[in-house]
Amino acid sequence: MNSDSPVVFVVDDDHRVREALSSLISSVGLRVAVFGSAAEFLEFEKPDAPACLVLDLQLPGTSGLELQQQLLAGDTPPIVFISGHGDIPSSVRAMKAGAIEFLPKPFDDQELLRSIHAAIDQDRIARQKKSELAELQRRYNLLTPREREVLPFVVAGFANKQTAANLGTSEITIGVHRGQIMRKMAAKSLAELVRMADRLGIARAARTV
Amino acid sequence: MTGSAKSKNDIPPATSIPEGAASLESILCTEELLQRTSRPPDHAKENAALVALASALAESGQSILDILAGAILQVTDSDSAGLSLLTSGFATPGDERRRFYSATIKGMWKGHAGDGTQRNFDPCGDVLDRNCTLLLRHFERRYPDLLPVSLAAEECLLVPFYVRGNAVGSIWAMMHTDRRRFDSEDERLMRVLGQFASLAYQTLGTIDNLKSQINAREKAEARLRELTRAEVGVILDSLQAQVRTGEEFHRVVVETASDTVVSIDHRGDILLANHATTATFGYEPAELIGQPLTILMPEYLRDLHRAGLKRYQETGHRHINWQSTELIGLRKNGEEFPVEVSFGEFNSDGRRVFTGFIRDISERKQVEEALRASERGLGLIVETIPGLVWCAAPDGELNYLNQRILDYTGTRAGDWAQLGWKNLLHPEDAETTAHAWSRAVTTGQPLEVQCRLRRSDGAYRWFQALGQAARDSAGGVTRWYGLLIDIDDRKNMEEALRNNRARLSRAIQTATIGEFAAAIAHEVNQPLAAVVTNAQACLRWLAAEPPGMAKAHEAAERIVRDGKEAGEIVRRIRALFRQAAVDNVEFDMNEVIGEVLHLLTGETTRRRVAVETDLGLDLSPVLGDRVQLQQVVFNLLLNGIEAMDRVVDRPKQLFICSKQPNPETILVEVRDCGPGIKDPDRIFEAFFTTKENGMGMGLAICRSIIDAHRGRLWAASGEGSGATFSFTLPVRVAS
Repeated sequence: MNSDSPVVFVVDDDHRVREALSSLISSVGLRVAVFGSAAEFLEFEKPDAPACLVLDLQLPGTSGLELQQQLLAGDTPPIVFISGHGDIPSSVRAMKAGAIEFLPKPFDDQELLRSIHAAIDQDRIARQKKSELAELQRRYNLLTPREREVLPFVVAGFANKQTAANLGTSEITIGVHRGQIMRKMAAKSLAELVRMADRLGIARAARTV
Repeated sequence: MTGSAKSKNDIPPATSIPEGAASLESILCTEELLQRTSRPPDHAKENAALVALASALAESGQSILDILAGAILQVTDSDSAGLSLLTSGFATPGDERRRFYSATIKGMWKGHAGDGTQRNFDPCGDVLDRNCTLLLRHFERRYPDLLPVSLAAEECLLVPFYVRGNAVGSIWAMMHTDRRRFDSEDERLMRVLGQFASLAYQTLGTIDNLKSQINAREKAEARLRELTRAEVGVILDSLQAQVRTGEEFHRVVVETASDTVVSIDHRGDILLANHATTATFGYEPAELIGQPLTILMPEYLRDLHRAGLKRYQETGHRHINWQSTELIGLRKNGEEFPVEVSFGEFNSDGRRVFTGFIRDISERKQVEEALRASERGLGLIVETIPGLVWCAAPDGELNYLNQRILDYTGTRAGDWAQLGWKNLLHPEDAETTAHAWSRAVTTGQPLEVQCRLRRSDGAYRWFQALGQAARDSAGGVTRWYGLLIDIDDRKNMEEALRNNRARLSRAIQTATIGEFAAAIAHEVNQPLAAVVTNAQACLRWLAAEPPGMAKAHEAAERIVRDGKEAGEIVRRIRALFRQAAVDNVEFDMNEVIGEVLHLLTGETTRRRVAVETDLGLDLSPVLGDRVQLQQVVFNLLLNGIEAMDRVVDRPKQLFICSKQPNPETILVEVRDCGPGIKDPDRIFEAFFTTKENGMGMGLAICRSIIDAHRGRLWAASGEGSGATFSFTLPVRVAS
């Protein structure tokens, strides 16, 4: 198991349930970290890996639903709720707030594990998207201010001559900026640059003619 | 004697009040006249008196004062009445020789007629001094001259008597007992009759003068034989003038009367009409003279009048009552109006003259009409009361039913006598209601009974029948007034409530079991979930390549451990119900508290309640129904937990303690830090609840259980916040 391997967090105040879940989850090769309360979980320094949170609805102190609300604001793994005697309103609230699944105790191991895997997959994709965007942002940060001015014209399909006219410079200078942009952004084609610009949320220059 | 005290006729006030005599103020109560309730004018009686006076004048003129006194006695319904006059023709004003003499007295005091008193000390003297009406009480206290008079003067009403604008005496009416008290109507009547009589008195004087002049004339005539013819002529002229003056009298009387006075001759033609005709009929008196009386009556009465007058003159038979008859008058402008007429008849030189006193009674009629309207209004009110109203005679016979009763029962007023009200009642209620009613009628006590009354569609509805007797001044029942109030809806609600109570009492038992069950389910569920998960993990470890034997072993061990724990929980639950069939067993209260607390851990965790216990060591065992007492502890703890649901500003703490304050008693206290109890006494009543979804049965049941164990359960509201429920139980007495 390397540091990138997924991890499952379990928060339940009942030690018997924690022990059982820890054993079950590790039996399928997943890393497990168990906590007796929401506070313990919040204090824990989470590894940078795809993750899933198995959360008991009834917790002393901060309840499961309250923890869910707190986590929504920040960086959170998808949640699978478990409950001793879950009521319908609570389960609806949990699902609406983005929970993967809501399982009443005692639960079926296959169902629980399937939910955990689904949660981890979802988190993995989210994490990947997030890291790709971070990489694009890093590349974009390499551009000079003038290159960032030119980029919207390039992705809008302006010819160098037109861009030069718009920015009041020479066609040759624009050609140089364009080459630098393609290199710094590591774009293999204009089409790829356009996709990168879209993901970064860069607006294309409007045609004036 | 001061100038300002001088009265109108220049007679000085009394100066020789005997020592010890009461002051005038002490016997004076004239202002009371205005405060007393005045009886309404009796115009018929008044008119009769006026007619009698007028007739007396026309006939003789002598008996006028007697008739006046008699009339006053009658109209004021007094015990004695009379007229006192100053003796006339004496010396100067203030002369002590001037005396009052009783010109006439009628009634009980009539024996004193002709008695005299000193001018300066007599009630009449005070009247003259003050020149106004006086009402005196027991005046003999002030006027010792009157002390020997046999009958005491309880009250005496005196009105000045004027002749030619001068007060010359007083008319008085007197009560010798407190049979009745004079009112302002008496005063008015005496003034009216006095005014009338003063004219008579003037006439009397005139006639007296005339007589003396005639006397003188007769004496003179002897001498006159020698006198010149011219002289005789002068004397005769003067004599004729005097006679004319006498005839004038009647006219004067008529002119001053406030009512319309019309005299007619035997043909029905108007001989004389007074000024009041202008206001009443719109005719100047002059316009009427010589006209037939029928001009004053509407067309349809004229033939009747002519025929009646003719018949009376032929047969002496009166077609209408002469004393007071209501007729219709006709004004000059054609307007008809109600009048009240009294007639008198006298002969004048063999001619029959009829005089009518006519009073416009439009206003009275309007008042009467208004009264009738208000009576109709009252009837209308009774009819519109949204209740069923009935009245009955003192003997219990129904004699009035309002429209609503008739509408409700679908009957007519006439039906009831035939049908009998008992037949409209539900057969089951008829006897008891009839019994209650006959009891009320016999004793005069109010009626109050509930019965079912049949509606027009045959359905019976519950009514509250109320009856109240109205009584006369002697306390005798004059009438029964009754009300029927529809209480059917209320009755049905009471019935529904009784059913609800029974249902709720079952429901609370079910609910308590349900709460137990939920708590049990949670307690068993936790280890069960752990067991299942561990077993699944165990299987997976065994199925792994290579099998994780150590992990599988650990999981299997946890299964055993948690399974045992679940078994323990089940054992505890069974313990809860184990002795259900046994009423009286010996047990440890702390054990019961511990079991209940364990059952409630799920609840306390979920609601984040911190439970603190302080259970006394070596408590004596108690004797009782273990399950019931568990229920009590469970209820009190659950109440405490729920009471703190809304607490957000402080930790939710539930405290339970047990101790043995004395060798005979175990005390258990449950304290929460919720909002406290507003009404610690009522909280144990059934259906009293402060919870949104509560049924209010829990504490009522708890109290009945503790009571059954000869213990005591009470509540107290803590300082600031929180409630404490405490109960005691007797310990088992060592035999």
